[in-house]
Formats: sequence, C-alpha cells, structure tokens
Amino acid sequence: MNDWASYSLQNFIPFTENVYFRLMERMGETFWPLHLLTLALGAGAVALVLKHRPRIACLLIAPVWAFVAVAFFMQRYGQLNWAGDYIGYAFLAQAALLVLISLPGRGLGKSLHWKSPPVLTGGALVFFGLVVQPLLAPLAGDSWYQAQVFGVHPDPTAIVSLGVILLGLRSLAMWVAAVIPLLWILISALTLLALDAPGATVLFAVLVIGVLGLIGDACCNVAFLKRSNKGE
Amino acid sequence: MSRGNAINKEQDACPDGIFCRYLGRNQSQPGAGAERLAMNNRLTRRQILRLMGATLAAVSLPSGQLFAAADPLLEKPVPGAGHKLPVIGMGTWRTFNVGNDPQLLEARTEVVREFFRLGGGLVDSSPMYGSAPDVMGYALEKLGIPESLFAAEKVWSPAGGSAREQVESLEQRWGVNRFDLVQVHNLTDWRTHLAALQEMKAEGRVGYVGITTSHGRRHGEFEQIMGSEDIDFVQLTYNITHREAENRLLPLAKERGIAVIANRPYDGGRLIKGLQRRGEKLPRWAEEECGCNTWADFLLKFIVSHPAVNCAIPATTRVEHMKENMLAGRGEMPSAASRKRMAAFIESL
Repeated sequence: MNDWASYSLQNFIPFTENVYFRLMERMGETFWPLHLLTLALGAGAVALVLKHRPRIACLLIAPVWAFVAVAFFMQRYGQLNWAGDYIGYAFLAQAALLVLISLPGRGLGKSLHWKSPPVLTGGALVFFGLVVQPLLAPLAGDSWYQAQVFGVHPDPTAIVSLGVILLGLRSLAMWVAAVIPLLWILISALTLLALDAPGATVLFAVLVIGVLGLIGDACCNVAFLKRSNKGE
Repeated sequence: MSRGNAINKEQDACPDGIFCRYLGRNQSQPGAGAERLAMNNRLTRRQILRLMGATLAAVSLPSGQLFAAADPLLEKPVPGAGHKLPVIGMGTWRTFNVGNDPQLLEARTEVVREFFRLGGGLVDSSPMYGSAPDVMGYALEKLGIPESLFAAEKVWSPAGGSAREQVESLEQRWGVNRFDLVQVHNLTDWRTHLAALQEMKAEGRVGYVGITTSHGRRHGEFEQIMGSEDIDFVQLTYNITHREAENRLLPLAKERGIAVIANRPYDGGRLIKGLQRRGEKLPRWAEEECGCNTWADFLLKFIVSHPAVNCAIPATTRVEHMKENMLAGRGEMPSAASRKRMAAFIESL
C-alpha cells in the first residue's frame, strides 16, 4: 500500500468533535463578559474603516489577534494539538503585521468604492463575523457560551479581520495582511470537515468570498491602470 | 512487613474499591508483574472483584446480554511469558486528548473506571496523542492504579528527546513507576529507539518492547523487523475490513512468538457507525454461533478470535460504549468457519 494514499484528513486531527466544541465553550465561559469589549472593538474597527480611517482600525484589531494567539492557541488549543503553539505564533505575527501596516500608512485605502468587489465582499464578511456567527450556536440550541465571538474565538476573529482588510487596505498590503486570516479559515474548515462537524461548508464559502474579494481588487487595479494608460 | 502485606493494605486503602497497585503516584516500587501474580490471597480478591464487576455489568445491561456479562473476560497469554492479557484493551487516540478541561477529565475518568470495573487491562497511548497520557495520569490518580493495568506507551521521535527521556517523561505523566510495554511508534527511527528500549528492558525499566504501525503502512519493513529483531509485541491495524495482516504479519507473529495488539478495530469508528447508521441488522447466525448481540460484539470478536491476536484496543469517550466493548471479550468466540462467514457477510453489505 502506498503510505501517502493511506493518510486521511482525520489522521492529522488528534481530538474529537465534542472536545473541539467544548474548547470553544470554555473560551466563552472563561472570558465572559470580555466578548462585549471585543465586539465593540470589532464594530469600532468597521466604523473607522467606513469613515476612511483604516490606520486606527488596523491598530484596534491588532491586540485582538495577540489575545487569541495566547489565550486560545498557546494556553488551550496547544494542549490538544502540537501545532497549536505554531498557529499561535502566526496569530502574533498577524498582530505585528497589522501594527506595521498601520504605522507608515502604506497600502491604506483612501476612499471606498461601494460597488467594488473588495468592499462588497469585505462588508459581507464583517456582517457575518460580527453579527451572524455569534448567533449560530444559540440558534442551533447550544448555550450562549458556545457562541463564537470576534476577539475571543479564532474563526470570527479571522473573518471580521479579513473583512476589515478588504474594506480598508489596498494592493500589496491587502494581500499580505489577508494571508494568515485566509490560512486559518482554511485550517478551521478542514478541521470541521475532518471532525464531520457542521460549519465546514460555511467556512469554505467564507474562504471563497475572501479570495474573490482579493481577486476583485486585483482586477479593479488592472482596469484602473488600463484606463490611466489610455488617458495618457 | 512483607511486600504482599504492604500492597494488601494499600488495596484496602484504595478509595474507589478498585485494586491499587501502588498508593499514590511515583512511589518507588520495582517490577510489578511477577510479584502481582505470586500473591495468593490477592488472586482470590481479584476473582471476587471480577465477579462483582460482572454482576454489576449484568444488572445494568439489557436482558439479551446478561449471559455474556456473566462470562469472564477472555484472556490470552503473552507468548513466552506467564502474563495473560484480557482480549479487550483500550486505545486513547483522539478520545483521551481533552487538555485540562475539568468536565471532560471527569468524563474520561468514568470511562477508565468502567474499563477496569469490567476487567480491562491494556491501555495504550502515545506522546503523539496530545494530552492523552496526562488524562490517563489524572484518571489513575483519581481511581488508584488498578491491579489489572497493563500500561502500554510509545516512543515517537517528533516528541523530542531520547527514548529513555521520553519514557521517563511519560511515566511522570501517567503517574506510574514503569510501563509494562513500550513500543516504537510507527517505526520512526526504530533502530535507535528499539536498541534503547532493549537496554531498558534488560535493566528492568520496561516490561516488554514492541513496534507499531497502523493503516497498513510499511508492512514490508515491519515484517523484516519482526523477522530479525527480538521484540515481544507488535501493534498493527487489523479489523474485519482491513485484513492484510492475515497474509504475512499475523502468521509470522505466531511463528516468532510475538504478541499482537490490533488497533483501529472499528476503522476509526467509521465501521461501526456506518453499520449502525445504515440500520444494518446482525445476522441471527452470529448470535447462535458466537453470541454476538451487538455490532461491537461482531466486530471485536472477529478480531480477538484470530489465533495470533492477543488484544484489540477500541477507543471510546462513552461509558455505555465501553460496556459494549468489554462484553465482546466474553462468552463464545467464533470458530474459523464462523470467522469466514463473518468476513463474507461484511463484504456482502
């Protein structure tokens, strides 16, 4: 038998579905009512981006990434999965990256074109991550502590941040800042798939929307360049 | 005070009514197996406890399983040793990796309690299984270390450190003084690790040594090691839908006097869940020929009735599934003809 053909996604996930969701619940139990503050930070970041102040928006969400890195990945998820610490480092790197991007103000979007693909997709992502995702667990009959909230749990943190990045950043800065959130959404979707748990499809859809937003921005830039060249 | 008396006092002090091999954690008590077997009065108590366990199990089970519950759990000898192992053990991959969640730690402790209450022996874990060794340590601290425990661990290169360092670290995590069996996990750096484990066995630091594989991987190299190295145990994937081991590895194990642990008896849960989800009914002949009342009986009895297999290690998070698993090691076992019929039946589905 070919060794590689014998591996499946399940071989890389060393815990069960109920352990994973219990971990989410424990985050909720442990940190409530921090959720209110992190949600306010998320909403504030979106408001600032909409008011063309992406620099402060990036600074607002950077500490949230650092918190999830330590509290979720390094202190808890790392007990279940040897990769947890490494993912925690990636989240810390994202926090540093958001600070770096915001300081020089490079790649920050100056104005919003409301019908542009990155703005439409970014808007959809922040709405889903901030408003819809926290309601999914209670609507499914689970406890409020299982509600996944921006700034406390990694999925909504990545989704809302990706939305803010699509809304507020442009060009290279947007692509660079989007890498880690997209990678986590992919890992999370694959984890749910391996656990045969609900929600994998939704995360894959989020991933596709995020990538479409990035590609849409690239297409807009190309079209803009073409128009500029014709104008010359 | 003789060691026998000392241990009996410790057993009396064990709060859960389960026999404790040692009271507390990490007290220095050398080698377990032979001394355990030598104490006459303890064997009597063990029998009494097993009878109690079987009675309790019978009370809590549907009437169709009463007769099976009253039968003793089948044991098979480790080749070349006086040691006998109950044919149903317990795996911990995925199921026991719960971190430090108090709620889940308690739940897994109940699974371990049930396992030993019903006569279980071998528990298998690995440094690859995240917090599973710590969770076993938690359960054993809470329950006391049962007389029947046969602690099996592994060394695994990515965990870091030498084999000796890994074993010492794992002993601390489990809270035991030595492991009955240490295996080289998935053949990683097997030459180095196996040599180190052989040394430790010679020093009396570990009971038996072995190698593992799963999912049918690297059977060629596995066979080569079985043929050339002095090992006591092999662990491999063997279940009713994955029977490659029947061709060469199981006959070789029999020939070489190597004990066999069968992992993934339910193919990672897919096999039994698939049968239950589809609403498949057990064939009547399975009950008549070998006392199969559940799919767990059917699947586990098939494995442990192979003459070369010592023990299957299903993993579970639930007490009721543990009960089902442990019942499969009791009562009548399928004959060679029944085993063929069982395999053909599953293939026909």
